[in-house]
Amino acid sequence: MNVTIHWERSWKDEFITRMERDGPWANWELYELAREAAEALAIPQFDGLQAPKHLPHMTILPHQYEVARQVVEEMNGKAILADEVGLGKTIEAGLILKEYMIRGLVKKALILVPASLVSQWVQELNEKFFIPAVAQKKSYVWEQCDVVVSSIDTAKKSPHREIIYEQAYDIVIIDEAHKLKNNKTKNYEFVQGLKKKFCLLLTATPIQNRVEEIFHLVSLLKPGHLGNAEQFQKRYGKLRTLHDDAHLKELIRKVMIRHRRHDTGIEWTKRHVETVFIDFSEAERNVYEAIQQLKRAQPLFSDASLSHITLLREICSSKEALFCTLKGMLERQPNIEATIGTLLQKMNDITEHTKAKKALELIQKINDKVIVFTEYRATQLYLQWFFKQHGISSVPFRGGFKRSKKDWMKELFQHRAQVLIATEAGGEGINLQFCNHVINYDLPWNPMRLEQRIGRVHRLGQTKDVNIYNFVVRHTVEEHVFMLLYEKIRLFERVVGELDDILMKLTSPSFSNHVERIIAQSKSEGELKIKMQNVVEILTNMEDGAHAAT
Amino acid sequence: MQQHDIQSFLERFFAATHCPVLERSDGHIRVQLTVDMDKQLMNRPFYWHYVERIGASGEPLQLSLITKQSTHEKGEYIHFGSPRLHQIFSVAKMNGRFVRLYERVSGRSVALHPWLHVNILISYECDRKQDRLLSLAIHLISGTIVEAFYDVLKEKKWAATVPDYCFTISPLIKPIHGLARLEAYIERIITSETHEWANEARARWEEDLALLQHFYEGVEEKREEYESEKEALRQRYEPNIHISIINGGLFYLEAK
Repeated sequence: MNVTIHWERSWKDEFITRMERDGPWANWELYELAREAAEALAIPQFDGLQAPKHLPHMTILPHQYEVARQVVEEMNGKAILADEVGLGKTIEAGLILKEYMIRGLVKKALILVPASLVSQWVQELNEKFFIPAVAQKKSYVWEQCDVVVSSIDTAKKSPHREIIYEQAYDIVIIDEAHKLKNNKTKNYEFVQGLKKKFCLLLTATPIQNRVEEIFHLVSLLKPGHLGNAEQFQKRYGKLRTLHDDAHLKELIRKVMIRHRRHDTGIEWTKRHVETVFIDFSEAERNVYEAIQQLKRAQPLFSDASLSHITLLREICSSKEALFCTLKGMLERQPNIEATIGTLLQKMNDITEHTKAKKALELIQKINDKVIVFTEYRATQLYLQWFFKQHGISSVPFRGGFKRSKKDWMKELFQHRAQVLIATEAGGEGINLQFCNHVINYDLPWNPMRLEQRIGRVHRLGQTKDVNIYNFVVRHTVEEHVFMLLYEKIRLFERVVGELDDILMKLTSPSFSNHVERIIAQSKSEGELKIKMQNVVEILTNMEDGAHAAT
Repeated sequence: MQQHDIQSFLERFFAATHCPVLERSDGHIRVQLTVDMDKQLMNRPFYWHYVERIGASGEPLQLSLITKQSTHEKGEYIHFGSPRLHQIFSVAKMNGRFVRLYERVSGRSVALHPWLHVNILISYECDRKQDRLLSLAIHLISGTIVEAFYDVLKEKKWAATVPDYCFTISPLIKPIHGLARLEAYIERIITSETHEWANEARARWEEDLALLQHFYEGVEEKREEYESEKEALRQRYEPNIHISIINGGLFYLEAK
């Protein structure tokens, strides 16, 4: 037999002492209860999951149970959990962690998540799973607490890094693991250096741009599973998608589980999408036209084309947003004061924003909780003020808020305010299922960001249909982008998952730059339309390709 | 343990620890803790420290526990996963570890024979885990070892002192030597098993190890990283058996 036996002999020593001292002895009832408690806690078999019977209050969905079972029974506790957005990867990870803790195979756990999600993880683990997880706030926490949740940015810094490297973790769980796709980053290197017995990587987008990314992710989890770097590059480096190679697909299946919405059998609430067209007032139109004319007034901007587009997009949002940029420009280039002065004067004529009025009307009509997304902080502030003038309470939300402030804002929104106004960066990291109305006050040019916005409310736990209102100002850049990009590929109406395949290819930073460039450099409306048409065509082809492969 | 077993477990636990039940209905009990149980369950060491420092007697708390959500009573909801139940489990295990008991024989004069009984937990562990409970006893006169002896014990009534008219026979085998024989017996049981689980774990280990070696082949500068990954594999897969005694003690039984 090649198994070592370890005796735990504390009972024996204590028994000897008690015999010498003639007690104290327990009664028969306690003896029996002790044995029954041990029986209840014993793990009856290697297979199966114990966790569900410890969590009777939770509804564990079939696909979530299956993920946990597969990770424990077939993947030996190392896996990439890559279910689509909103299927409950946190629940799956929690189940697996709980299972290992019940089995006594995990004591010390490190959970690395985006800073904005730390408190949410801690809360879920404690309340849903009865796992005494602690948010890392003081450096002694690393050593003294068994289950610690932290942001990777904190963890990788000195002195935390050194302390963490001293710990032997039974499990390391990393949320939003696609951020580790590049093996040259500090984050990657940090995670690679962790001592980890079991490991879970959570991401909805395991591959974003290149097949190589999956190599780095898998190598973090299970070095060698996809060969070494050189061989991988040689064999698969030219592949555009995983579907192109059956062998690679099979290998990846051994370390990665991915469910799509349509294979979970869950009934999702619907998305109702409404486009709200807005016509500029005369004053607003004048400013817009004036900016367009500036395009010809070289050398006004150092990178003429891009700034110009920025200004156009901003005036579609609010003059406050535009003003901030102009002010910045003026500080850098005092010589353009005259040109900008004229513009500012025209802006003075704008007394009220048509878009803001429309938003107000809509919110009053909805008479329920609403999330308003805007790209600009100045617009955010303006809207907050504007709504308040009309008796509507709102709370702001930004990516830059501290965790505690984010939680507080969410609380306020849930219990006190009707509207939450979030800037783009605020899109990630909070779950707001209790709300089912979203106003896209201005549209991001990167469709993935749009999905993230909608994903805040359209996720598991949402019981109502979700209403999405897209604000588009007629005869402006907004309309061009909207008509050609969003309308043609009908982004809004799809559930997140169907789009994964194409969106993954769109998220490269170059994509929105590409669109911006088309708009900036086109000399006529006609040229613009043709170029945008081309983009749409490419997207549609990609999508068809993706469908054919799945 | 099913939900309906939990209430009876709780009631028996508080009876065994001498905590009076103040209210009881289907799915609910309220008990008055004793000082000792308050200290073990309520996690307020500063309070007791303070009380003892000033020489006061201190007031133990009451616990209101709910085992059926349909009840209208107020209290902590206890289910199989609730931390409170697990705390009670561990208090039960802690307080019921050692016994010395005499069979309750009434009105007769009999000789009671000494037995050493232990409940044992065997854990088979690799990247997965399974437990097995064993109940073993050794007759401290003849050295006979009997399996599943707990089932015999459960059928009898027990007293903390020698019943009237009865007398005990002193062990010929010292309890400590009896324990050593039980340990050897357990090891023999384990050695005779096939341990397919351990072979499978080793196979998984070797497979991963081969991949790892391949990954780091020819990359001398990453020696340390390689060693650390290799060690992680050992910790994950290496099959081990852990044995501990849940509880045990001396039982004096009427000879059959």
